[in-house]
Amino acid sequence: MGNLKKEFSQIYDKYINKIYRFIFLKVNSQETAEDLASETFLRCWQAFQKRQSERNETIKKIENPPAFLYQIARNLVIDFYREKGRFQVISAEDCQINDPNQDLEGKSLRESDLETIKGALSCLKEDYQTVIIWRYLDELSVPEIAKIMDKSEENTRVMLHRALKALKSELNREVS
Amino acid sequence: MATELQLIKKIQALKQIKPRKEWVFLAKTQILGENEGEKTRFSSILSIFRPFILQRYQLVLATFLFFGILVSGAFSFAQTSLPGDLLYPLKRVAESGRAILASDEEKPQVQLELANKRLEELTKIAEANQTKKLASAINEFQASVSQAAKDLKNPPKITKEIVAQTKKLEENKKKVESLGVVVGDVEELDNTLKTLVGREIKDLENKTLTEEQGKTLEEAKEFFEAGNYSQSLEKILNLSYPQDK
Repeated sequence: MGNLKKEFSQIYDKYINKIYRFIFLKVNSQETAEDLASETFLRCWQAFQKRQSERNETIKKIENPPAFLYQIARNLVIDFYREKGRFQVISAEDCQINDPNQDLEGKSLRESDLETIKGALSCLKEDYQTVIIWRYLDELSVPEIAKIMDKSEENTRVMLHRALKALKSELNREVS
Repeated sequence: MATELQLIKKIQALKQIKPRKEWVFLAKTQILGENEGEKTRFSSILSIFRPFILQRYQLVLATFLFFGILVSGAFSFAQTSLPGDLLYPLKRVAESGRAILASDEEKPQVQLELANKRLEELTKIAEANQTKKLASAINEFQASVSQAAKDLKNPPKITKEIVAQTKKLEENKKKVESLGVVVGDVEELDNTLKTLVGREIKDLENKTLTEEQGKTLEEAKEFFEAGNYSQSLEKILNLSYPQDK
């Protein structure tokens, strides 16, 4: 158990910032992001204990912890919006840039560029947000993203291209 | 229009978003520290809120600690207060608590200690010439002596502490009177001691004593007749309760 804890502790330290940021950019609330990130790691730790222990060698071990974490986090965010009835159909009219004064995390983002990009990103559909965050913020490779999303690499590249295009047009819309 | 590279740079600026350090630590401790066994669904649901709940508890705990420190600080300060001071009632509350919580066996000793404290306060007041506080200090002393007399009426056992406190009381009384303060009669206490000592002498007279013990009893009687009850008690203690020597 000691080694298991140590191993998971290293995983936690390595990915906590990324998982938190991934969730925060989607829910835009520090409190919710903390709750969901805690739950992500808790679920991962439970699965980790189950699968890595000697008694359960027949069960497949977690080979790619970050992919596993992202999967859980993504599902939790989807569940969060679904359960609370907060899933939004984003339209150009509905989309607003977040007011930095209303958001604690926003206060730390000093440059307006950051707010703009955060706001624009939050207006994209979930798939596009995810693929942009993983590729350009968390620096996952296209094959890694394809594997997590269960898509072909080609499809992932196309989605990434479209996501960037959508983000660009969102930014242009806000500027104009 | 921004190029793709500029756009990517803008996206990468979002790396500045980071979680609170204290939350990162707290969540890790909660997840790794309390989930070693198989968890029930209920407890895993609870654990989502655990970091949040803990923060609330920390706030409550901090508030309690703050007021705890404040109150205990006030009680500590109150220990040096004198009758008439703002914090003096706090000192009396603490002392009352001690007297109430004392066992029947300890009560006479505790009350004598408190009567001695009152005399010590009187001495301080007299030495500092705080004449305004004298009246309330004397009242406090009288009340305390009266309670001590009541508790002494049926002490389960005469102990060396009771004897020591009685002797100290006489010394303190003399000291404060030498400063010109009239503390009033302590007749009730004197009468109680007289009864107590008289009863003990009578008991000893009916016992078979060695020659040396007989001499000690005689000395006790002499002190008793001279009205020096504390000295007499000390002699009796040596005879009746030699284990308390």
